[in-house]
Amino acid sequence: MFDAIDKQVLKQVADLEEVPKGAYNIRKNGKLLGREVSANINIEANEKGDGIVIDVKPGTVNESVHIPVILSQAGLHDVVYNTFIIGDNSDVTIVAGCGIHCGSSEAEGHSGIHEFRIGSGARVKYVEKHVAIGEGTGRRSLNPTTRVFMEDNASAEMELTQLGGVDEAKRANEASIGAGSVLLITERVMTEGNQRAESQNEIELAGSDSKTNIVSRSVLKGDSRQDFYVNLTARARCYGHIECDAIIMDNGNNQTVPALKAFHPDAELTHEASIGKIANDQLMKLMSLGLSYDEAVNRIIQGFLK
Amino acid sequence: MLELKNLTFLAADTEASESAPQRRAIVNDINFTFETGGFYAITGPNGSGKSTLAKLIMGINETSEGKILFEGEEINKLAINERSRKGIVYGFQNPARFKGTTFRDLLSIAAGTEDEDSLVKILARVGICSYDFLDKPVDSKLSGGEIKKIELATVIAANPRVAIYDEPDTGIDLWTIGPMVDLLKREQQQNNTTTIVVSHNKAFLEAADTLMLLRNGRIAYTGDLEGAMPLLEDLSLCTFSDTCEGETNVRCYR
Repeated sequence: MFDAIDKQVLKQVADLEEVPKGAYNIRKNGKLLGREVSANINIEANEKGDGIVIDVKPGTVNESVHIPVILSQAGLHDVVYNTFIIGDNSDVTIVAGCGIHCGSSEAEGHSGIHEFRIGSGARVKYVEKHVAIGEGTGRRSLNPTTRVFMEDNASAEMELTQLGGVDEAKRANEASIGAGSVLLITERVMTEGNQRAESQNEIELAGSDSKTNIVSRSVLKGDSRQDFYVNLTARARCYGHIECDAIIMDNGNNQTVPALKAFHPDAELTHEASIGKIANDQLMKLMSLGLSYDEAVNRIIQGFLK
Repeated sequence: MLELKNLTFLAADTEASESAPQRRAIVNDINFTFETGGFYAITGPNGSGKSTLAKLIMGINETSEGKILFEGEEINKLAINERSRKGIVYGFQNPARFKGTTFRDLLSIAAGTEDEDSLVKILARVGICSYDFLDKPVDSKLSGGEIKKIELATVIAANPRVAIYDEPDTGIDLWTIGPMVDLLKREQQQNNTTTIVVSHNKAFLEAADTLMLLRNGRIAYTGDLEGAMPLLEDLSLCTFSDTCEGETNVRCYR
Protein backbone atom coordinates (compact mmCIF):
# COMPACT_ATOMS: atom_id res chain seq x y z
CA MET A 1 0.00 0.00 0.00
CA PHE A 2 2.79 2.41 0.90
CA ASP A 3 5.93 3.23 -1.05
CA ALA A 4 9.20 4.28 0.58
CA ILE A 5 8.35 8.00 0.51
CA ASP A 6 4.89 7.39 1.98
CA LYS A 7 6.43 5.41 4.81
CA GLN A 8 8.97 8.13 5.51
CA VAL A 9 6.27 10.81 5.58
CA LEU A 10 3.84 8.77 7.68
CA LYS A 11 6.54 8.02 10.21
CA GLN A 12 7.23 11.71 10.65
CA VAL A 13 3.68 13.08 10.74
CA ALA A 14 1.84 10.32 12.53
CA ASP A 15 4.55 8.07 13.96
CA LEU A 16 3.15 5.24 11.84
CA GLU A 17 5.22 2.34 10.51
CA GLU A 18 2.27 0.46 9.03
CA VAL A 19 -1.48 0.80 8.66
CA PRO A 20 -2.78 2.16 12.00
CA LYS A 21 -5.10 0.29 14.33
CA GLY A 22 -8.69 1.51 14.49
CA ALA A 23 -10.32 3.97 12.13
CA TYR A 24 -8.19 5.80 9.62
CA ASN A 25 -8.26 7.75 6.39
CA ILE A 26 -5.05 8.23 4.46
CA ARG A 27 -5.08 10.81 1.71
CA LYS A 28 -2.31 10.99 -0.87
CA ASN A 29 -1.97 13.70 -3.52
CA GLY A 30 -5.62 14.70 -3.27
CA LYS A 31 -6.95 11.12 -3.48
CA LEU A 32 -7.95 8.43 -1.03
CA LEU A 33 -5.18 5.93 -0.38
CA GLY A 34 -6.86 3.90 2.33
CA ARG A 35 -9.76 4.02 4.76
CA GLU A 36 -11.03 1.91 7.62
CA VAL A 37 -13.98 2.61 9.84
CA SER A 38 -14.82 1.07 13.20
CA ALA A 39 -18.08 0.14 14.89
CA ASN A 40 -18.15 3.52 16.61
CA ILE A 41 -16.29 5.77 14.22
CA ASN A 42 -17.55 6.34 10.72
CA ILE A 43 -15.63 8.11 7.97
CA GLU A 44 -17.19 9.08 4.67
CA ALA A 45 -16.85 11.68 1.94
CA ASN A 46 -18.75 14.91 2.50
CA GLU A 47 -21.58 15.98 0.21
CA LYS A 48 -19.43 18.20 -1.96
CA GLY A 49 -16.78 15.54 -2.27
CA ASP A 50 -14.02 17.88 -1.18
CA GLY A 51 -13.30 16.25 2.16
CA ILE A 52 -14.46 13.77 4.76
CA VAL A 53 -16.82 13.65 7.71
CA ILE A 54 -15.56 11.76 10.74
CA ASP A 55 -18.46 10.82 12.96
CA VAL A 56 -17.77 9.52 16.46
CA LYS A 57 -20.77 7.92 18.13
CA PRO A 58 -21.77 9.25 21.55
CA GLY A 59 -20.13 7.34 24.38
CA THR A 60 -17.21 6.04 22.29
CA VAL A 61 -14.20 5.76 24.59
CA ASN A 62 -10.52 4.96 24.20
CA GLU A 63 -10.58 4.95 20.40
CA SER A 64 -8.36 6.74 17.94
CA VAL A 65 -8.61 8.03 14.38
CA HIS A 66 -5.64 8.62 12.12
CA ILE A 67 -6.13 10.96 9.16
CA PRO A 68 -2.68 11.72 7.72
CA VAL A 69 -2.14 13.43 4.39
CA ILE A 70 0.78 12.72 2.07
CA LEU A 71 1.76 15.14 -0.65
CA SER A 72 4.46 14.15 -3.10
CA GLN A 73 3.13 15.31 -6.47
CA ALA A 74 5.00 18.27 -7.96
CA GLY A 75 2.88 21.35 -8.55
CA LEU A 76 -0.10 20.14 -6.52
CA HIS A 77 -1.88 22.32 -4.01
CA ASP A 78 -4.35 20.11 -2.20
CA VAL A 79 -7.31 21.65 -0.37
CA VAL A 80 -9.47 19.49 1.89
CA TYR A 81 -12.46 20.19 4.13
CA ASN A 82 -12.80 17.76 7.04
CA THR A 83 -15.54 17.77 9.65
CA PHE A 84 -15.27 15.98 12.98
CA ILE A 85 -18.49 15.28 14.82
CA ILE A 86 -17.62 14.11 18.29
CA GLY A 87 -20.58 12.55 20.08
CA ASP A 88 -21.52 13.37 23.67
CA ASN A 89 -19.41 11.78 26.42
CA SER A 90 -16.97 10.19 24.04
CA ASP A 91 -13.19 10.13 24.60
CA VAL A 92 -11.08 9.92 21.45
CA THR A 93 -7.65 10.74 20.10
CA ILE A 94 -7.32 12.12 16.59
CA VAL A 95 -3.94 12.04 14.91
CA ALA A 96 -3.82 14.31 11.89
CA GLY A 97 -0.92 15.85 10.07
CA CYS A 98 0.44 16.53 6.67
CA GLY A 99 3.76 15.58 5.23
CA ILE A 100 5.08 17.08 2.04
CA HIS A 101 7.79 15.32 0.14
CA CYS A 102 9.16 17.71 -2.42
CA GLY A 103 11.31 16.17 -5.13
CA SER A 104 11.33 18.91 -7.77
CA SER A 105 11.51 22.66 -8.22
CA GLU A 106 7.72 22.97 -8.39
CA ALA A 107 5.72 24.22 -5.43
CA GLU A 108 3.58 21.89 -3.33
CA GLY A 109 1.03 22.79 -0.74
CA HIS A 110 -1.80 21.61 1.43
CA SER A 111 -4.64 23.50 3.07
CA GLY A 112 -6.58 21.44 5.58
CA ILE A 113 -9.74 23.10 6.81
CA HIS A 114 -10.87 21.21 9.90
CA GLU A 115 -14.07 21.79 11.77
CA PHE A 116 -14.73 20.17 15.15
CA ARG A 117 -18.15 19.90 16.72
CA ILE A 118 -17.51 18.56 20.18
CA GLY A 119 -20.55 17.30 22.06
CA SER A 120 -21.36 17.68 25.73
CA GLY A 121 -19.00 15.93 28.10
CA ALA A 122 -16.77 14.70 25.26
CA ARG A 123 -12.97 14.62 25.50
CA VAL A 124 -10.78 14.99 22.44
CA LYS A 125 -7.06 14.89 22.01
CA TYR A 126 -6.02 16.24 18.62
CA VAL A 127 -2.42 15.84 17.52
CA GLU A 128 -1.37 17.53 14.30
CA LYS A 129 2.15 17.49 12.91
CA HIS A 130 3.33 19.26 9.82
CA VAL A 131 6.57 18.39 8.12
CA ALA A 132 8.17 18.94 4.74
CA ILE A 133 11.08 16.88 3.48
CA GLY A 134 12.76 15.98 0.20
CA GLU A 135 15.60 17.15 -2.00
CA GLY A 136 13.48 19.38 -4.23
CA THR A 137 13.67 23.17 -4.17
CA GLY A 138 9.97 23.84 -4.74
CA ARG A 139 8.19 26.02 -2.26
CA ARG A 140 6.33 24.02 0.39
CA SER A 141 3.32 25.59 2.01
CA LEU A 142 0.91 24.35 4.66
CA ASN A 143 -2.04 26.53 5.55
CA PRO A 144 -4.28 24.83 8.10
CA THR A 145 -7.52 26.20 9.45
CA THR A 146 -9.00 24.71 12.61
CA ARG A 147 -12.46 25.66 13.84
CA VAL A 148 -13.66 24.27 17.15
CA PHE A 149 -17.17 24.47 18.58
CA MET A 150 -17.44 23.03 22.05
CA GLU A 151 -20.74 22.34 23.81
CA ASP A 152 -20.97 22.08 27.61
CA ASN A 153 -18.45 20.35 29.90
CA ALA A 154 -16.30 19.12 27.04
CA SER A 155 -12.54 19.12 26.92
CA ALA A 156 -10.19 19.38 23.98
CA GLU A 157 -6.43 19.29 23.92
CA MET A 158 -4.81 20.33 20.66
CA GLU A 159 -1.13 19.85 19.93
CA LEU A 160 -0.12 21.61 16.74
CA THR A 161 3.46 21.11 15.67
CA GLN A 162 5.54 22.23 12.72
CA LEU A 163 9.22 21.50 13.05
CA GLY A 164 11.14 22.67 10.01
CA GLY A 165 11.03 22.26 6.28
CA VAL A 166 7.89 24.32 5.61
CA ASP A 167 8.53 27.49 3.62
CA GLU A 168 5.22 29.12 4.27
CA ALA A 169 2.60 28.41 6.91
CA LYS A 170 -0.51 30.42 7.51
CA ARG A 171 -2.51 28.97 10.31
CA ALA A 172 -5.92 30.08 11.53
CA ASN A 173 -7.42 28.70 14.71
CA GLU A 174 -10.92 29.61 15.81
CA ALA A 175 -12.76 28.32 18.83
CA SER A 176 -15.95 28.88 20.73
CA ILE A 177 -15.91 27.29 24.18
CA GLY A 178 -19.19 26.36 25.87
CA ALA A 179 -20.10 26.35 29.56
CA GLY A 180 -17.75 24.32 31.75
CA SER A 181 -15.63 23.30 28.77
CA VAL A 182 -11.84 23.43 28.62
CA LEU A 183 -9.69 24.02 25.55
CA LEU A 184 -5.91 23.63 25.68
CA ILE A 185 -3.91 24.60 22.62
CA THR A 186 -0.15 24.12 22.33
CA GLU A 187 1.48 25.31 19.16
CA ARG A 188 5.14 24.57 18.50
CA VAL A 189 6.81 26.00 15.45
CA MET A 190 10.41 25.96 14.31
CA THR A 191 11.43 27.89 11.23
CA GLU A 192 14.79 28.21 9.51
CA GLY A 193 16.34 29.84 6.44
CA ASN A 194 13.85 32.26 4.91
CA GLN A 195 10.76 30.42 6.09
CA ARG A 196 7.66 32.30 7.20
CA ALA A 197 5.02 31.17 9.66
CA GLU A 198 1.95 33.04 10.77
CA SER A 199 -0.67 31.98 13.28
CA GLN A 200 -3.95 33.82 13.77
CA ASN A 201 -6.09 32.74 16.70
CA GLU A 202 -9.61 33.84 17.56
CA ILE A 203 -10.69 32.15 20.76
CA GLU A 204 -13.97 32.90 22.47
CA LEU A 205 -14.84 31.87 26.00
CA ALA A 206 -18.57 31.79 25.39
CA GLY A 207 -20.05 29.80 28.27
CA SER A 208 -19.99 30.23 32.02
CA ASP A 209 -16.93 28.64 33.70
CA SER A 210 -15.28 27.92 30.38
CA LYS A 211 -11.48 27.74 30.45
CA THR A 212 -8.64 27.94 28.00
CA ASN A 213 -4.87 27.88 28.01
CA ILE A 214 -3.09 28.83 24.81
CA VAL A 215 0.63 28.11 24.62
CA SER A 216 2.85 29.11 21.73
CA ARG A 217 6.50 28.08 21.52
CA SER A 218 8.49 29.47 18.61
CA VAL A 219 12.09 28.86 17.61
CA LEU A 220 13.50 31.01 14.82
CA LYS A 221 16.69 29.99 13.08
CA GLY A 222 18.43 31.71 10.16
CA ASP A 223 16.53 34.67 8.73
CA SER A 224 13.11 33.16 9.31
CA ARG A 225 10.06 35.03 10.52
CA GLN A 226 7.15 34.05 12.73
CA ASP A 227 4.12 36.06 13.74
CA PHE A 228 1.69 34.92 16.38
CA TYR A 229 -1.59 36.71 16.99
CA VAL A 230 -4.23 35.73 19.47
CA ASN A 231 -7.47 37.43 20.39
CA LEU A 232 -8.92 35.91 23.54
CA THR A 233 -12.47 37.12 24.08
CA ALA A 234 -14.47 36.47 27.24
CA ARG A 235 -18.24 36.63 27.15
CA ALA A 236 -19.00 34.90 30.45
CA ARG A 237 -17.49 34.12 33.83
CA CYS A 238 -14.41 32.28 32.66
CA TYR A 239 -10.66 31.84 32.90
CA GLY A 240 -8.21 32.22 30.06
CA HIS A 241 -4.45 32.36 29.82
CA ILE A 242 -2.06 32.93 26.92
CA GLU A 243 1.62 32.05 27.14
CA CYS A 244 3.79 32.80 24.14
CA ASP A 245 7.54 32.47 24.04
CA ALA A 246 9.87 32.89 21.13
CA ILE A 247 13.56 32.05 21.01
CA ILE A 248 15.55 33.86 18.33
CA MET A 249 18.64 31.85 17.38
CA ASP A 250 20.19 33.88 14.57
CA ASN A 251 18.64 36.80 12.67
CA GLY A 252 15.02 35.77 13.05
CA ASN A 253 12.18 38.20 13.19
CA ASN A 254 9.21 37.70 15.50
CA GLN A 255 5.98 39.41 16.36
CA THR A 256 3.91 38.13 19.25
CA VAL A 257 0.63 39.92 19.80
CA PRO A 258 -1.61 38.54 22.54
CA ALA A 259 -4.86 40.45 23.07
CA LEU A 260 -7.30 40.00 25.94
CA LYS A 261 -10.89 41.20 25.63
CA ALA A 262 -13.34 40.89 28.50
CA PHE A 263 -17.04 41.50 27.95
CA HIS A 264 -18.08 40.07 31.29
CA PRO A 265 -17.26 41.42 34.77
CA ASP A 266 -16.23 37.98 36.10
CA ALA A 267 -13.83 37.17 33.29
CA GLU A 268 -10.26 36.39 34.35
CA LEU A 269 -7.79 36.72 31.52
CA THR A 270 -4.01 36.75 31.75
CA HIS A 271 -1.10 36.55 29.37
CA GLU A 272 2.66 36.30 29.43
CA ALA A 273 4.87 36.74 26.42
CA SER A 274 8.59 36.77 25.84
CA ILE A 275 10.93 37.07 22.88
CA GLY A 276 14.67 36.66 23.22
CA LYS A 277 17.75 34.55 22.88
CA ILE A 278 18.39 31.44 24.94
CA ALA A 279 18.93 32.57 28.51
CA ASN A 280 22.57 32.57 29.52
CA ASP A 281 21.90 30.97 32.90
CA GLN A 282 20.30 27.97 31.15
CA LEU A 283 23.38 27.52 28.95
CA MET A 284 25.72 27.88 31.95
CA LYS A 285 23.79 25.26 33.89
CA LEU A 286 23.94 22.65 31.14
CA MET A 287 27.59 23.41 30.39
CA SER A 288 28.40 23.02 34.08
CA LEU A 289 26.97 19.49 33.72
CA GLY A 290 29.42 18.76 30.90
CA LEU A 291 27.54 19.67 27.71
CA SER A 292 29.30 21.73 25.04
CA TYR A 293 27.75 25.05 24.01
CA ASP A 294 26.10 23.50 20.93
CA GLU A 295 24.84 20.47 22.86
CA ALA A 296 23.40 22.77 25.52
CA VAL A 297 21.60 24.88 22.88
CA ASN A 298 20.12 21.71 21.33
CA ARG A 299 18.90 20.35 24.64
CA ILE A 300 17.26 23.66 25.59
CA ILE A 301 15.49 23.90 22.20
CA GLN A 302 14.44 20.22 22.35
CA GLY A 303 12.88 20.77 25.77
CA PHE A 304 11.24 24.02 24.67
CA LEU A 305 9.58 22.35 21.67
CA LYS A 306 8.86 19.04 23.39
CA MET B 1 43.85 18.87 44.82
CA LEU B 2 42.82 22.28 43.61
CA GLU B 3 45.30 25.12 43.83
CA LEU B 4 44.66 28.83 43.43
CA LYS B 5 47.80 30.81 42.64
CA ASN B 6 47.71 34.59 42.74
CA LEU B 7 44.16 34.32 41.49
CA THR B 8 42.71 37.69 40.56
CA PHE B 9 39.50 38.84 38.92
CA LEU B 10 39.27 42.41 37.68
CA ALA B 11 36.02 44.12 36.75
CA ALA B 12 35.37 47.57 35.29
CA ASP B 13 35.10 50.09 38.12
CA THR B 14 31.71 51.71 37.74
CA GLU B 15 32.79 54.60 39.94
CA ALA B 16 35.83 55.49 37.80
CA SER B 17 35.47 58.38 35.38
CA GLU B 18 34.93 57.68 31.70
CA SER B 19 38.11 59.51 30.77
CA ALA B 20 40.19 57.32 33.05
CA PRO B 21 38.53 53.88 33.12
CA GLN B 22 39.86 51.64 35.83
CA ARG B 23 39.50 48.04 36.79
CA ARG B 24 38.79 47.01 40.33
CA ALA B 25 39.92 43.70 41.82
CA ILE B 26 36.87 41.72 43.00
CA VAL B 27 39.12 38.76 43.82
CA ASN B 28 42.59 39.93 44.66
CA ASP B 29 45.69 37.77 44.56
CA ILE B 30 44.33 34.70 46.29
CA ASN B 31 46.62 31.78 47.10
CA PHE B 32 45.03 28.68 48.53
CA THR B 33 44.97 24.90 48.18
CA PHE B 34 41.80 22.83 48.54
CA GLU B 35 42.89 19.35 49.57
CA THR B 36 41.14 16.33 48.07
CA GLY B 37 38.13 15.24 50.10
CA GLY B 38 38.06 18.32 52.33
CA PHE B 39 34.95 20.28 53.29
CA TYR B 40 35.48 24.01 52.88
CA ALA B 41 33.20 26.94 53.61
CA ILE B 42 33.85 30.29 51.96
CA THR B 43 32.28 33.11 53.91
CA GLY B 44 32.55 36.85 54.34
CA PRO B 45 30.44 39.97 54.06
CA ASN B 46 28.36 40.85 51.00
CA GLY B 47 30.57 41.98 48.15
CA SER B 48 33.69 40.31 49.55
CA GLY B 49 34.17 38.18 46.41
CA LYS B 50 32.89 34.79 47.62
CA SER B 51 30.65 33.96 44.68
CA THR B 52 33.11 35.49 42.22
CA LEU B 53 35.83 33.20 43.53
CA ALA B 54 33.56 30.15 43.20
CA LYS B 55 32.66 31.16 39.64
CA LEU B 56 36.35 31.59 38.77
CA ILE B 57 36.99 27.98 39.79
CA MET B 58 34.11 26.74 37.60
CA GLY B 59 35.10 28.98 34.69
CA ILE B 60 31.89 31.02 34.74
CA ASN B 61 34.09 34.07 35.39
CA GLU B 62 37.27 34.33 33.38
CA THR B 63 40.53 34.53 35.30
CA SER B 64 42.15 37.97 34.93
CA GLU B 65 45.47 37.09 36.53
CA GLY B 66 46.98 34.09 38.26
CA LYS B 67 46.35 30.39 37.85
CA ILE B 68 44.03 27.59 38.87
CA LEU B 69 45.61 24.13 38.98
CA PHE B 70 43.55 20.95 39.29
CA GLU B 71 45.70 17.94 40.11
CA GLY B 72 48.69 19.79 38.74
CA GLU B 73 47.05 20.77 35.45
CA GLU B 74 46.35 24.39 34.68
CA ILE B 75 42.62 24.68 34.05
CA ASN B 76 41.98 28.40 33.92
CA LYS B 77 41.91 28.42 30.11
CA LEU B 78 39.37 25.57 29.97
CA ALA B 79 35.70 26.20 29.22
CA ILE B 80 33.01 25.44 31.81
CA ASN B 81 32.06 22.09 30.25
CA GLU B 82 35.71 21.01 30.01
CA ARG B 83 36.19 21.71 33.71
CA SER B 84 32.95 19.85 34.38
CA ARG B 85 34.25 16.81 32.51
CA LYS B 86 37.30 16.87 34.76
CA GLY B 87 34.98 16.55 37.75
CA ILE B 88 34.29 20.13 38.88
CA VAL B 89 30.57 20.83 39.20
CA TYR B 90 28.77 23.94 40.41
CA GLY B 91 25.46 24.48 42.16
CA PHE B 92 24.14 27.91 41.28
CA GLN B 93 22.84 30.38 43.85
CA ASN B 94 19.97 31.32 41.55
CA PRO B 95 19.41 28.17 39.50
CA ALA B 96 18.27 28.55 35.89
CA ARG B 97 14.58 28.05 35.18
CA PHE B 98 13.73 26.48 31.84
CA LYS B 99 10.64 26.05 29.70
CA GLY B 100 9.84 22.43 28.89
CA THR B 101 13.00 20.95 30.43
CA THR B 102 12.18 18.61 33.30
CA PHE B 103 14.08 17.52 36.39
CA ARG B 104 14.46 14.13 34.65
CA ASP B 105 16.20 15.84 31.70
CA LEU B 106 18.69 17.64 33.95
CA LEU B 107 19.31 14.58 36.09
CA SER B 108 19.91 12.42 33.00
CA ILE B 109 22.43 14.90 31.62
CA ALA B 110 24.18 15.10 34.99
CA ALA B 111 24.25 11.34 35.56
CA GLY B 112 25.01 10.53 31.91
CA THR B 113 22.20 7.98 31.80
CA GLU B 114 18.46 7.88 31.17
CA ASP B 115 18.10 4.54 32.90
CA GLU B 116 15.06 4.69 35.18
CA ASP B 117 16.58 2.61 37.99
CA SER B 118 19.71 4.72 38.07
CA LEU B 119 17.68 7.94 38.28
CA VAL B 120 15.51 6.54 41.05
CA LYS B 121 18.67 5.58 42.96
CA ILE B 122 19.87 9.17 42.69
CA LEU B 123 16.52 10.42 44.04
CA ALA B 124 16.96 8.16 47.04
CA ARG B 125 20.58 9.26 47.44
CA VAL B 126 19.66 12.96 47.58
CA GLY B 127 16.62 12.34 49.79
CA ILE B 128 13.86 13.25 47.31
CA CYS B 129 11.22 10.69 48.15
CA SER B 130 8.57 11.71 45.64
CA TYR B 131 8.95 9.82 42.38
CA ASP B 132 6.54 12.27 40.68
CA PHE B 133 9.10 15.00 41.20
CA LEU B 134 11.18 13.51 38.38
CA ASP B 135 8.85 14.75 35.66
CA LYS B 136 8.38 18.22 37.07
CA PRO B 137 9.30 20.97 34.63
CA VAL B 138 12.18 23.05 35.97
CA ASP B 139 10.32 26.30 35.36
CA SER B 140 9.14 29.42 37.14
CA LYS B 141 6.33 27.50 38.85
CA LEU B 142 8.76 25.75 41.21
CA SER B 143 9.18 27.23 44.66
CA GLY B 144 12.56 28.59 45.75
CA GLY B 145 13.11 25.54 47.94
CA GLU B 146 12.17 23.03 45.23
CA ILE B 147 14.51 24.49 42.65
CA LYS B 148 17.40 24.51 45.12
CA LYS B 149 16.81 20.82 45.87
CA ILE B 150 16.86 20.10 42.15
CA GLU B 151 20.06 22.09 41.77
CA LEU B 152 21.71 20.17 44.57
CA ALA B 153 20.54 16.83 43.14
CA THR B 154 21.98 17.60 39.69
CA VAL B 155 25.37 18.42 41.20
CA ILE B 156 25.44 15.18 43.21
CA ALA B 157 24.16 13.13 40.25
CA ALA B 158 27.22 14.22 38.27
CA ASN B 159 29.42 12.43 40.85
CA PRO B 160 31.75 15.41 41.11
CA ARG B 161 35.28 15.24 42.40
CA VAL B 162 34.97 18.89 43.39
CA ALA B 163 31.46 20.10 44.24
CA ILE B 164 30.99 23.85 44.57
CA TYR B 165 27.74 25.06 46.11
CA ASP B 166 26.98 28.77 45.95
CA GLU B 167 24.68 29.64 48.86
CA PRO B 168 22.80 26.33 48.75
CA ASP B 169 20.51 27.35 51.61
CA THR B 170 18.90 30.34 49.84
CA GLY B 171 15.14 29.73 49.75
CA ILE B 172 15.44 26.57 51.84
CA ASP B 173 13.33 26.42 54.97
CA LEU B 174 15.01 26.29 58.35
CA TRP B 175 14.07 22.63 58.88
CA THR B 176 15.68 21.46 55.66
CA ILE B 177 19.10 22.98 56.24
CA GLY B 178 20.17 20.27 58.72
CA PRO B 179 19.42 17.38 56.33
CA MET B 180 21.09 19.33 53.52
CA VAL B 181 24.29 19.71 55.53
CA ASP B 182 24.13 15.99 56.40
CA LEU B 183 23.75 15.13 52.71
CA LEU B 184 26.78 17.16 51.66
CA LYS B 185 28.81 15.68 54.52
CA ARG B 186 27.75 12.17 53.53
CA GLU B 187 28.72 12.78 49.91
CA GLN B 188 32.06 14.17 51.05
CA GLN B 189 32.78 11.21 53.29
CA GLN B 190 31.47 8.38 51.12
CA ASN B 191 32.81 9.60 47.80
CA ASN B 192 35.74 11.68 48.99
CA THR B 193 34.18 14.67 47.24
CA THR B 194 36.08 17.90 47.74
CA THR B 195 33.23 20.13 48.89
CA ILE B 196 33.28 23.92 48.70
CA VAL B 197 30.26 25.78 50.06
CA VAL B 198 29.80 29.52 49.78
CA SER B 199 27.57 30.44 52.69
CA HIS B 200 26.73 32.74 55.56
CA ASN B 201 24.87 29.98 57.30
CA LYS B 202 26.33 28.81 60.59
CA ALA B 203 25.25 25.23 59.89
CA PHE B 204 27.61 25.05 56.91
CA LEU B 205 30.39 26.93 58.70
CA GLU B 206 30.18 24.38 61.52
CA ALA B 207 30.19 21.46 59.10
CA ALA B 208 33.31 22.64 57.31
CA ASP B 209 36.80 21.35 58.12
CA THR B 210 38.24 24.65 56.97
CA LEU B 211 36.82 28.13 56.68
CA MET B 212 37.98 30.71 54.21
CA LEU B 213 36.99 34.19 55.24
CA LEU B 214 37.11 36.79 52.48
CA ARG B 215 37.13 40.51 52.84
CA ASN B 216 37.45 42.96 49.95
CA GLY B 217 38.49 40.15 47.63
CA ARG B 218 41.34 38.96 49.82
CA ILE B 219 41.66 36.11 52.28
CA ALA B 220 41.18 37.54 55.77
CA TYR B 221 41.43 34.17 57.52
CA THR B 222 41.68 30.45 56.88
CA GLY B 223 41.28 27.82 59.57
CA ASP B 224 38.61 26.40 61.83
CA LEU B 225 35.39 28.09 62.92
CA GLU B 226 36.59 28.72 66.43
CA GLY B 227 39.49 30.78 65.18
CA ALA B 228 37.21 32.69 62.83
CA MET B 229 34.67 33.67 65.45
CA PRO B 230 36.43 36.82 66.70
CA LEU B 231 36.72 38.01 63.09
CA LEU B 232 33.14 37.09 62.23
CA GLU B 233 31.90 38.97 65.26
CA ASP B 234 34.17 41.92 64.60
CA LEU B 235 32.39 44.92 63.19
CA SER B 236 35.40 45.57 61.00
CA LEU B 237 33.98 42.98 58.62
CA CYS B 238 31.15 45.34 57.90
CA THR B 239 31.39 46.85 54.43
CA PHE B 240 29.57 49.93 55.64
CA SER B 241 32.23 50.71 58.25
CA ASP B 242 33.00 54.10 56.72
CA THR B 243 29.47 55.33 57.30
CA CYS B 244 28.65 53.31 60.41
CA GLU B 245 27.09 55.27 63.24
CA GLY B 246 27.54 52.55 65.83
CA GLU B 247 26.09 49.22 66.78
CA THR B 248 22.84 50.67 68.05
CA ASN B 249 22.06 52.21 64.70
CA VAL B 250 18.83 50.53 63.64
CA ARG B 251 19.76 50.89 60.01
CA CYS B 252 22.69 48.53 60.33
CA TYR B 253 22.46 46.12 57.41
CA ARG B 254 25.11 43.75 58.59
